[in-house]
Amino acid sequence: MHRLYRVVVAAAVVLMLCSVVSTAQPEGPKPELPVLITSCGQSPGPAMLKVIFMRAKLEYDPIAYEISEMASSEDLKAGKEAGTPFKTLIIVMGASLKGMGAAGISMEDELSRTEALIAEAKKQGMTVIGSHIEGMKRRSQGASAGDTTDEQSIDAVAPFSDILLIHKEGNSDNRFSIIAKEKNIPLIEVEKNLDLISEIQKLFHR
Amino acid sequence: MKDHAATLRKTAFSLLALVVLISAGLQFYRHRNLREPVVLGPGVTDVKNLSDYFDGISGTINDAHVYVLEGEEPGGAILVLGGSHPEEPAGRLAAWIFAENAVVQKGRLFLILSTNRSATTVTRLGGAYPTDYSIETNFGSRTFRMGDRWSNPLDQWPDPEIYIHYPSRQELAYIDIRNINRTWPGRPHGTLTEQTCFAMTELIKKEGIDIVIDLHEAELQYPVISTIVAHSKGQDLAAFSSMMISGMEGFNIGMENSPEALRGLSHREIGDHTDAISLLLEAPEPFLDATRGRTDRKLLLEGKDRFIVRAGKHGLLFEKIDENGWPIALRVGRHCSTLLQIFELWTEEKADRGLVVSGVPRYSDIVDRGVGAFLKNPATADPNRIVYE
Repeated sequence: MHRLYRVVVAAAVVLMLCSVVSTAQPEGPKPELPVLITSCGQSPGPAMLKVIFMRAKLEYDPIAYEISEMASSEDLKAGKEAGTPFKTLIIVMGASLKGMGAAGISMEDELSRTEALIAEAKKQGMTVIGSHIEGMKRRSQGASAGDTTDEQSIDAVAPFSDILLIHKEGNSDNRFSIIAKEKNIPLIEVEKNLDLISEIQKLFHR
Repeated sequence: MKDHAATLRKTAFSLLALVVLISAGLQFYRHRNLREPVVLGPGVTDVKNLSDYFDGISGTINDAHVYVLEGEEPGGAILVLGGSHPEEPAGRLAAWIFAENAVVQKGRLFLILSTNRSATTVTRLGGAYPTDYSIETNFGSRTFRMGDRWSNPLDQWPDPEIYIHYPSRQELAYIDIRNINRTWPGRPHGTLTEQTCFAMTELIKKEGIDIVIDLHEAELQYPVISTIVAHSKGQDLAAFSSMMISGMEGFNIGMENSPEALRGLSHREIGDHTDAISLLLEAPEPFLDATRGRTDRKLLLEGKDRFIVRAGKHGLLFEKIDENGWPIALRVGRHCSTLLQIFELWTEEKADRGLVVSGVPRYSDIVDRGVGAFLKNPATADPNRIVYE
């Protein structure tokens, strides 16, 4: 009986330890403030995310987020050297030929900038969030025949992201679901872009 | 004998030419002189003209009416432009619905229904467009002039070999010297179209307009469609409006940044040359697509075309279309709801410069009841409250 008691107690302790280990396991990447928001393809997506962040009212001194359409790896290095590093990088996927034309750059320029940006972010241990929030208009439906810039933008960002934050309509062909599954990346989908406000609050407050 | 036969032939051809001339002339005359009544809604407090802001436009066909709706409470001022391109009727009709229904509680709303009135008097030359269209109502129908993208050559001619935009000096398509959405901000001694833009720029400055919203439609083969094009000053407003509309109004609308390198457009030049935020709204209009079938009133108002549907199946379109087409009610409803959302969000952000409007139907109302349900009956209206466009 005494022996049985000891076995039960030992089993309970093992279970408790397992439980502790289980809760201590990471739930996935944990993005932190401050955030640098940019695009890969000069779409207006960063302007939309800016409004989301404004509405989410995240507090961080001196500033919780910054938008830079042409953010570069040098910006990340400069922030780190100044002692004010960004902790999270959000790259909005989807290309705008008008946007790139206005900025006087090509898709190739955007892809190189993005590659360097992600490499520096990973080097600094930042969380990289790939976001696509403009639906199919910023995918095949919004592209001229033969224009693959939207898809190139996705290929440059999504597989290298730590989290994917996606508008469901833009994933109607499961493009992002497949990447998320293959690369084991947490995928957050929203039905409406307004839902991004609560998702951003959850991501940065948990 | 030979001379006699030649004379007869010449006479017959001359008579035939005369018949064609008279018949075409009558059609042009009727089109140019079709009277479009506006039944002033309870909110219209004043009707001005563009010449009140720039005398140089006085006496021209483009001395458009400016409908002013002023609320009792002071606030901001917003200008809505319908009919920049009168071949895009949803913009004019949406502005018409505001003029006949809106009541302003706070701030001032300015409406222009025929931003390029000259362009309402001609259709695409050689395009076989209908010269007018009618909207069914419960008291009969209301008929409107169908127009063109460019000012009537009768009012501004000849076109130059090269059009150099003022003041950017960018070279644009020669024909666009008659396109009012390529001549902003305009100049006082320019062409009629440039003078019209100059008059509106003066209005914007003198009335302290906070936001200008230019209503358009686009073919489904054009990438800038179902969207709000925003000057950088209006990015936040456009972005949030796009999200609110897509989440609440029952349709999706995107957002595009106004490119700095493309000059003469309202969303670029108004923002650059005045204190106002400039936005441009695009709704889908299959009638404008190059691959359309018969170009008639039915296509204009119902937006159904099997050739365009087929183009969609080949991935050639930037907006969806099926056998239900894009009826005028959907297109006008999109504009009305987008305007209302922009007003509401602007007022939420800038309470002291806000604009509070009531009485205007939203997208779902117009889709359910049709455009005609929100047009008033000129026959029973007070004659002192009728203005002709």
